[in-house]
Amino acid sequence: MAEDGGTIELKQPPIAPGPHAPRTWLAILAAWVFPGLGHFLLGRKHQGLLFGLIVWSCFGLGLAHDGRLALRDSRQPLLTTMQVVANLGIGPADPIARTVVYGSPVYRMTGVTRAPDPPTAGTVFRERARSRHAQYGTAYLWTAGLMNLLLLFHVWDIARGKVP
Amino acid sequence: MGSHFLHMLLFSTLVSAFFGSLLRHDRQSQLRLGLKLWMVMVGGALLMAYAMYFFQR
Repeated sequence: MAEDGGTIELKQPPIAPGPHAPRTWLAILAAWVFPGLGHFLLGRKHQGLLFGLIVWSCFGLGLAHDGRLALRDSRQPLLTTMQVVANLGIGPADPIARTVVYGSPVYRMTGVTRAPDPPTAGTVFRERARSRHAQYGTAYLWTAGLMNLLLLFHVWDIARGKVP
Repeated sequence: MGSHFLHMLLFSTLVSAFFGSLLRHDRQSQLRLGLKLWMVMVGGALLMAYAMYFFQR
């Protein structure tokens, strides 16, 4: 009660859902499935839109510039696995892009043949590597995936109330 | 787009906007960090390119 007899309005900070709340996991899943959506679900609409725009632009630029969607190669397992993880950071858009580019959501390097019908993923991979834009495209694709992986941690921190 | 320089500008813009928004919370700090990162990336790349002039094959 205030001195003048009126009531005092107590302003409480919004309650964070907590690290193990279903809403937290839903937001993290949403952020992976569709970059930007996790922030949107946690009420940070402008941030969600901006991050979504940046990540999707990067991904689109990567595909438009013949970026190579990494394939795990047993001759260089560590390096190529990390590349695949970077690509997968973008979420289900990655297997969809692979289906468009390689004909199926393939993640392993397959043999390269001269005139196969249909061409193997390894053949398509090497053909794209010959494009003069492929290096740019690959950098954009990795960056899009890695940025979205960082965003998952950001969503987690927001849900825990660690981010103002 | 085949220009390496334009790709560098575009890439730096996207990355600096991303980290500016991720690591700072008020608009002014975000802009300041984004600009700083952009200048470090673009300026650093140009400096490196200029330094490579002295190590020609």
